[in-house]
Amino acid sequence: MSAEIRVPIEHERDIVTARQRGRELAAANGFSSTDQTLVALAISEIARNIVSYAKRGEVMLLALEETGRRGIVVIARDEGPGIADPELAMKDGYSTAKSLGVGLPGAKRVMDEFKLETQLGKGTTVTMKKWVR
Amino acid sequence: MAVPILKQEDVLIAQVQAILSDDDLNQLKDDLSNRIGRARSRGVIIDVTALDVLDSFATRTIRGIAYTAKLRGANTVVVGIQPDVAFGMVQLGLSLEGVETALDLEEGLAFLRNAANSRGPRVR
Amino acid sequence: MTVSDRQRSLQSSMHDMGLTEEAIERRKRIVGLEPADLGRIAAVKDVVARGAEEFMATFFEFLSKLDEARPLVTSHGLLDRARQLKKAHLAAMVQGEYGTRYVEQRLELAQLYARAGLEMLVFLGAFHHLLRAIGSAIMKQFERSPMEGFENFMSLQKVAFFDIGIIVDVLVMERERTIRQQEEAIRELSTPVLQVRDRMLLLPIIGVIDTHRARLITESLLRAIRANRAKVVVMDVTGVATIDSKVANHLLQTVTAARLMGALVIVTGLSSEVAQSLVALGIELSKINTVGDLQGGLEEAERVLGYRLLRNGDALPPPTMTEN
Ligand SMILES: Nc1ncnc2c1ncn2[C@@H]1O[C@H](COP(=O)(O)OP(=O)(O)O)[C@@H](O)[C@H]1O
Ligand SMILES: [Mg+2]
Repeated sequence: MSAEIRVPIEHERDIVTARQRGRELAAANGFSSTDQTLVALAISEIARNIVSYAKRGEVMLLALEETGRRGIVVIARDEGPGIADPELAMKDGYSTAKSLGVGLPGAKRVMDEFKLETQLGKGTTVTMKKWVR
Repeated sequence: MAVPILKQEDVLIAQVQAILSDDDLNQLKDDLSNRIGRARSRGVIIDVTALDVLDSFATRTIRGIAYTAKLRGANTVVVGIQPDVAFGMVQLGLSLEGVETALDLEEGLAFLRNAANSRGPRVR
Repeated sequence: MTVSDRQRSLQSSMHDMGLTEEAIERRKRIVGLEPADLGRIAAVKDVVARGAEEFMATFFEFLSKLDEARPLVTSHGLLDRARQLKKAHLAAMVQGEYGTRYVEQRLELAQLYARAGLEMLVFLGAFHHLLRAIGSAIMKQFERSPMEGFENFMSLQKVAFFDIGIIVDVLVMERERTIRQQEEAIRELSTPVLQVRDRMLLLPIIGVIDTHRARLITESLLRAIRANRAKVVVMDVTGVATIDSKVANHLLQTVTAARLMGALVIVTGLSSEVAQSLVALGIELSKINTVGDLQGGLEEAERVLGYRLLRNGDALPPPTMTEN
């Protein structure tokens, strides 16, 4: 299994780096070009949230090999303010920044598995997986 | 990488590069806004052929550019959205509503030409 | 395949078939394999080991006489491996250990049969001959106490049934997989994107639309739009089995994605009942250009492309963009 890739997220240009690394990892693990795009898109949204709401954090990428299937996992972590109402944050169109509010729900749609863990004042972790089809 | 803006007749063409950061996009917004005024342009084409991802931030900014341009008298057409990119956008829930789109630069120019000529109601 | 690759793929097959330790224990209970059997199996260990070569020959001889088994017996790679595995099987059968490792070995042999396209009946026939040969050898060994020999054989037969259960499951699963793959291929073929004329595509959608299929349709349409430089797409949904809100949303996504690439989609074949029920469900049909029937849709598409303009002899749009 390949080693994990860590991309520190602090400036908005790190978002580009994170999604490029994600696309490369997806390509190396046999994802179709459409699915590579979906992975890059989800990473872009989640990494941007770190820059916008938590100032800094990290995106970790890892190739997955489970029984009979391959995939990748993306873990985005920050020690920012956390999300007061995670259920609401997962709704399409909900945004505290007057932006489109599709980042979290959209990332969930384009990935196969999605988990949002957040604690007020402590930070937020988003874990998402996608499998090669 | 800053986005180069070319001028062809009365159309401004922004050629977006493969790697587009938020700063580049914001810069483009300001540049275009300035140049529309100076050049009295009738149309703006944003060519995204080279882009492999259009996320919610980019979509929203492009929409902003189109609205601003409209207020200054220019129509905006986004051209060159690739199949994978379009697919990703709809999956995420993005639609670029209210912004014209065309297959490529040539089509975008043809569209602006027609719009300038007819000025009548269009199909969409 | 390297050894570890093979090992890994076997483990994933075990997982796919749900062959956990509990499941294996359950299978043993079903065939009635109990601790008491192990002693009786141990008693025939030597007979089986001694006759292993002969039993194996019986098995493959039976197969070599059948046309249906030709792919297996004529492919040297497969046959050699099958012999190797069968020999290991005969040895393992009387070892008294029927856990994960044993099941993995059964699985590997079964997959080999499946790859060779061995039919269930043919396999069962060969296995039957093998068992009969083993049974005769055991009875001969226990000539002086046939009851004991018979009981020992019955215990061994439980293991044989345990084995058959696994092999049959693999053969069935492989068959289902083949059928699924064929269905998949048919489904992909069933959504052709047709070029009607320059820059105009027709997408007739037929059958049941689920998320997966909607994705395939959208992907192939988007690629066709680029390949044909299409400007208008007529999407005919007359043949779609049911259009509920979920299906409508899928279709809406396809329309939106096409628009992002600069193509206009005209939807035809939406009956007024369906349209009304969708409106009632809150689906925004206003975002879709709909025309009642296919003919009307094609005419509308031509109008969009400017064909009527030509027919009516209207002025052509100016060739350059220098005016104004
Ligand atoms: N990492 C994070 N830390 C704190 N708040 C977050 C984080 N990510 C998302 N949020 C909150 O969730 C809301 C919804 O996020 P999202 O769906 O990406 O939409 P948007 O970014 O357009 O607001 C944000 O407006 C923000 O309040
Ligand atoms: Mg966001």
